[in-house]
Amino acid sequence: MTTLDLQHTGIQASGTLTSGTVEARATAALLTCVARFGLAKTTIDDLAREAGCSRATLYRYFDSKAAIVRLTVDVEITRVTTAAVDAGLVEPSLGDAIVAVSLQAARDLDGHAALSFLLAHEPESIVSHLTFAEGDRVLVWVGDALAPAFTRWLPEPEAARAGEWIARVLRSYVLMPEPTIDLTDAPTAREFFRALVVPGLGVHDG
Amino acid sequence: MFRGTYSCIARLGLAKTTMDDAARAAGVSRATVYRQFPGGRDELLRETVGWEMTRFFAHLGEELGHASDFAEFLERAIPLARDELVHHDVLQKVLETEPDRLIPLITVEQHRLIEYIAAYFLPMLERDQERGVVRTDADLPRAAEYVARMALSLVASPGRHDLDDPVEVHRLVRRELLGGLLVPARQ
Repeated sequence: MTTLDLQHTGIQASGTLTSGTVEARATAALLTCVARFGLAKTTIDDLAREAGCSRATLYRYFDSKAAIVRLTVDVEITRVTTAAVDAGLVEPSLGDAIVAVSLQAARDLDGHAALSFLLAHEPESIVSHLTFAEGDRVLVWVGDALAPAFTRWLPEPEAARAGEWIARVLRSYVLMPEPTIDLTDAPTAREFFRALVVPGLGVHDG
Repeated sequence: MFRGTYSCIARLGLAKTTMDDAARAAGVSRATVYRQFPGGRDELLRETVGWEMTRFFAHLGEELGHASDFAEFLERAIPLARDELVHHDVLQKVLETEPDRLIPLITVEQHRLIEYIAAYFLPMLERDQERGVVRTDADLPRAAEYVARMALSLVASPGRHDLDDPVEVHRLVRRELLGGLLVPARQ
């Protein structure tokens, strides 16, 4: 069984990839192949074909399919959190920023073809990394990554705390089966976050 | 049936537990097990995981007993649930040996647990609303589900939060969890 391994991923190792490089083509190829037929059935040959390079070239950059998966997860988390932070930066208040960040991330996760395929058909490859001890690591990481959206109103640790809480809300309502509320719908998300989430994330005395 | 299957999982793990083992442990025939679980082994294992998850929280509720209000209940419930989860021998063993089998089952069964916990929370929220502790305009069924989801999230993965620290738990409960629900004067 192929599983994602987030152990060795981290913001420090990631950043965005320069387009056209072998790394960028390999991660893009993985996303395409996984969306089409899943992670278990994707081979290095498939990735090489999709990336338009040889098997040997891929092996010069990555020692295994798992290494490509690791980098892709890293790049995708960075991409989704960066877009979410950007959505928050233009907002006039903390409440608006919380809603904008959450809505952007919910939509990116919901519309993510590769992620959707894995959640529907190979959940074992992904959910193990969203819960229990693995979940801790991802929540803290995403929390830190979302923090810059809130530092205009909150001190750094509070901003990261807010980011982690949003990551929890999205994990439960967007990534787990049978969501009861559609947080990709703007009016629904705005009302939900304003009522239940925003009041818990502001600055309080004491 | 669930008790028997659970004892097999504890002994053999998920992959090695068969319908025959479960039938023997429960003291029923193979045919009976297949009649009860037409989906076979996968269905039996999934339902058993769901049964144990509900049983775990039902037991927790009994242990916690009376609380003066919902916030106080959560302040005691969350650290206790975390502690019992960490010391749940069967869960920890299977998480260690067969995480890729167990976690999808837990995830699939999670919605049932959320419903169960939300139904448990709802009367407490209603009582607090009647007493003026919870805002009159709060949508309580939705709030009960939100608190159930987020409390479960904290118990399974505390992230940066130290659930052994009463000050931290107090803050999590009064702000993150119930900040939108409690009447401000009571926060």
